[in-house]
Amino acid sequence: MTLRRIERLQLSYISAIDEGPLDNWPHFFTDKCLYTVVSRDNFDRGMELGVMRFESVGMLIDRATATQHAAVFAPRIIRHLLGPAMVDDTGEGYRSRCNVAIYQTSPDGDTMLLMTAIYNDLIVEQDGVLKFKEKRVIYDTHRIPDSIVYPL
Amino acid sequence: MDGTQTPDKSETDIWSEAGTTRVPFQVYQDADIYAQELKRIFYGSSWNYVGLECEIPEPGDYRRNFIGEREVLMIRKDDGGLSVVENRCAHRGAQLCQALSGNAGSAIMCPYHQWTYTLDGELTGMPFKRGINGKGGLNPDFDMKAHGLVTLRVESLNGVVFASFDHDVPELKEYLGPDMVKYFTRIFNGRGLRVVGYERQVIDCNWKLQMENLKDPYHAGILHLFLISFGLFRLDQESKCLVDDSKGHSVLMTAKGTEEGKEDTGGVRIAAPDFSLTDHELIQPRLEFPDNVTLSIQTLFPSIIIQAQCNTLATRQVIPKGPGSHELVWTFFGFEDDDDEMKDLRLRQANLMGSAGYVTLDDAEALEFSQVGLSGSPAGEAAVLEIGGTDCESNDHLVTESLIRGFYMRYRDIMGHGKAGA
Ligand SMILES: [Fe+2]
Repeated sequence: MTLRRIERLQLSYISAIDEGPLDNWPHFFTDKCLYTVVSRDNFDRGMELGVMRFESVGMLIDRATATQHAAVFAPRIIRHLLGPAMVDDTGEGYRSRCNVAIYQTSPDGDTMLLMTAIYNDLIVEQDGVLKFKEKRVIYDTHRIPDSIVYPL
Repeated sequence: MDGTQTPDKSETDIWSEAGTTRVPFQVYQDADIYAQELKRIFYGSSWNYVGLECEIPEPGDYRRNFIGEREVLMIRKDDGGLSVVENRCAHRGAQLCQALSGNAGSAIMCPYHQWTYTLDGELTGMPFKRGINGKGGLNPDFDMKAHGLVTLRVESLNGVVFASFDHDVPELKEYLGPDMVKYFTRIFNGRGLRVVGYERQVIDCNWKLQMENLKDPYHAGILHLFLISFGLFRLDQESKCLVDDSKGHSVLMTAKGTEEGKEDTGGVRIAAPDFSLTDHELIQPRLEFPDNVTLSIQTLFPSIIIQAQCNTLATRQVIPKGPGSHELVWTFFGFEDDDDEMKDLRLRQANLMGSAGYVTLDDAEALEFSQVGLSGSPAGEAAVLEIGGTDCESNDHLVTESLIRGFYMRYRDIMGHGKAGA
């Protein structure tokens, strides 16, 4: 049952990014949270530097707002493909790991693989709703073939 | 050196006039010009960034990098010195090291036939040199000394390592000139460095467009809605645009502006959205250098950028990948003695920069718009660079393209594209 709910959370999460509205994206997280997108290269070197790092819903809202209203970029379609989640019930929440491939399609209709990555998440229940307390996107593709416009 | 060759006439003719207010679109897409750039600029008498000393602290440590399209290894030697060699075996040309970084031990060994070199690149041995039972192997008069790795001249300035294929290139400090050394050592002031992390990104535009963008303060107050919305960059800020004597290097600096009120853009309204930022720390720098400069961008010819935006410090290396593409490698760094608060700030403010950066995302996209836009343009079409006049001088304002014009003065001289200053 929990596994189902976590799968549903992950699918709703990627849908908020792929299908929008992006304004929903921050609300998949607890108020204080950690969202980072870090290359495996940095991660393996013990470096926390990420292409994005947000530590509260407020910061996530900033990103969603800026992306929609204060950034200049060519339109694109993002598509996440998720693998099954492996879930462990730790004392402080559910640890969920799943593989993800993220594709990007240009206005001309060309689709390319933006990156492969793993979601390493800590999920907690808050007022009956599952939320991400941590979402670490650790991506393999450290020579990123394009800019990262939308959250991952 | 190639600089003394008589240039092919067809190349010099693409420049319609002596100055650099018109940059022909061919220089961004022509394969022959690109090949000449590699040869004359990257493999010629230039100093190229190859990394930071703190990336290779221990003897045998190496890090792979590119100069132009040639792969090099930056290596820490046993005596603590540095060497830079081409990452290509002198035997059959195989790539020596495949990992991005690692430790080679006391010798570099080619994985293919185990030809072995000192950390300086001298050939020391290979299996079956004398053959087996007197049969096969190398001719006894084979000159080991003549078959070492291609070595580069190397110099470090306060922990930042540069290399040159030209062993007769002037010293690094002379190449940079006193003004550039002054601003370089403002950031690299001798304190121990530490790498905060890397980002690498492919941007599909000519490498020079990337350099131009960092020499173009004019765009920053227009394109970057994020900066404008939060008063992080305004074209009316106290500022300095410095071009060195060689015209190829430059520094662009601004002091922090006020966050309230929109700038006077001469009646033109910049369409920037009004919204407030939840995370104020993102735009609240902690001053860490002895001045009130909160943004400085130094570009050193040909292809390295040193940025300090708030507390994100980074080198951005531009690696050409054919006429229409380049790789941008960001090495975010800090200092060994950064306190915890500063470590945090550097991680957080990195949101401004990099492949998803609030600021640099716009740049990468706009640069690709440029490449797409100019591709296939007929001969004779050129970029117009007349903002701020026609000269290549230093300025105390930001509405100028003089730094870009300077870059192309240096470029034309090295490429033999006519006499730029004539
Ligand atoms: Fe920019």
